[in-house]
Amino acid sequence: MDALRIMRDPISRRRFFAGAGVTLAGGSAMFAAACGDDDETTEGGDAADSSSDIGILNSALALELTAIEAYTKGAPLLKGRVLAAGKEFLIHEQEHADGLTQAIKQLGGTTDAQAMKLDFSGLRNQDDVLRFATNLENVAIAAYVDALPKLSSPDLRATAAQIVTNEAEHVAVLQLALGNQPAPDAFVTGDANALA
Amino acid sequence: MSKDRLTIVDGECDTALVTDYEATRREAVRRGIVTGGAVIAGATIPTLLRVGRAFAQSDGDGAVLESAVGLEQTAVVVYDTAFKSKLLEKPLALAVRLFRDQEQEHADALSQALEDLGGTPPEPPTSAEVKGLGSVRSQEDILRFAVELENMAVMAYVDAHMKLQSPELLKTGTQIMANEGQHLVLLRQALGASPAQSVPSAFEAGIDPAS
Repeated sequence: MDALRIMRDPISRRRFFAGAGVTLAGGSAMFAAACGDDDETTEGGDAADSSSDIGILNSALALELTAIEAYTKGAPLLKGRVLAAGKEFLIHEQEHADGLTQAIKQLGGTTDAQAMKLDFSGLRNQDDVLRFATNLENVAIAAYVDALPKLSSPDLRATAAQIVTNEAEHVAVLQLALGNQPAPDAFVTGDANALA
Repeated sequence: MSKDRLTIVDGECDTALVTDYEATRREAVRRGIVTGGAVIAGATIPTLLRVGRAFAQSDGDGAVLESAVGLEQTAVVVYDTAFKSKLLEKPLALAVRLFRDQEQEHADALSQALEDLGGTPPEPPTSAEVKGLGSVRSQEDILRFAVELENMAVMAYVDAHMKLQSPELLKTGTQIMANEGQHLVLLRQALGASPAQSVPSAFEAGIDPAS
């Protein structure tokens, strides 16, 4: 069973992950720590490639877990169609987390990611949540853009591209809800320092 | 949204790349994915048909780039035609103009990358060469055509991420694909999708779910 291909196929994916639950433990790791120094992409699944991929995927998983927490914490401040979007995005982040977890396991790794410790106390209204979510999404986008070329498997790279495009679409919706331009940049880079 | 099924009309399919995209689209249709009734010809991506350069039949980065340049050039023409059509309400016209400019940036960057590899970018299509574009008669027609084109682009970039070897090209491809997704958000909302509906998939694949 190829977990990555199933993850990308919209019909098979829902069947595959229906009812799946994941237990996670251990420390977190950001992309910078997880990635190796090689500048070349490589095909195949030797031990070094798998180890590197597992590290990158765990870092991505940490970001997805953080997004899950953010959308969960922010939901009570959202209303109407924005709330509906927030709930949908929470589902997406959970699907990302589930998919990454399955990919890590398929590579023979263990999931050791945890959500980042963020302070949500400053969120007072819908606009605060929208701006916070935008910043978090932009951190994730920057991390994925940087890490994707370091993934050794074509399937992993394609899946990561689909995830980051979804995150960019989240940003577009959040920005529209704030009354801002949804697609200001021809090359979406995210912002690694958006939460600084 | 209309529940009309997407109709794919066989056009000239004389490259492996076009065959791959056609197969992908037919698979999507077979699985019951419907769009808003847009009709798209197999030859709607004309520069794929005109890819006859040295890289055309290879699997290298050059072949991927040629295809991508063609798609972006087509998108420029589509959005430029749309902007100048006077069929769009003003806020949408301004958005479409921005998208045209962004697609041009994509085309320029990818063309430069192709030249750096020793390749030659294809000539941009004329609006008459983009089959189906001449049939658009309304704002809704334009939006549906643009959604279909952007979906094709996303599919192509998913495929590109599996084929590209250069880390720099992969990074650029990701950044471009993400922008195309943002275009889709605005187009979907302009067609009546709610904010939640405008991002239908956790893994953007360039396939709109059945409505």
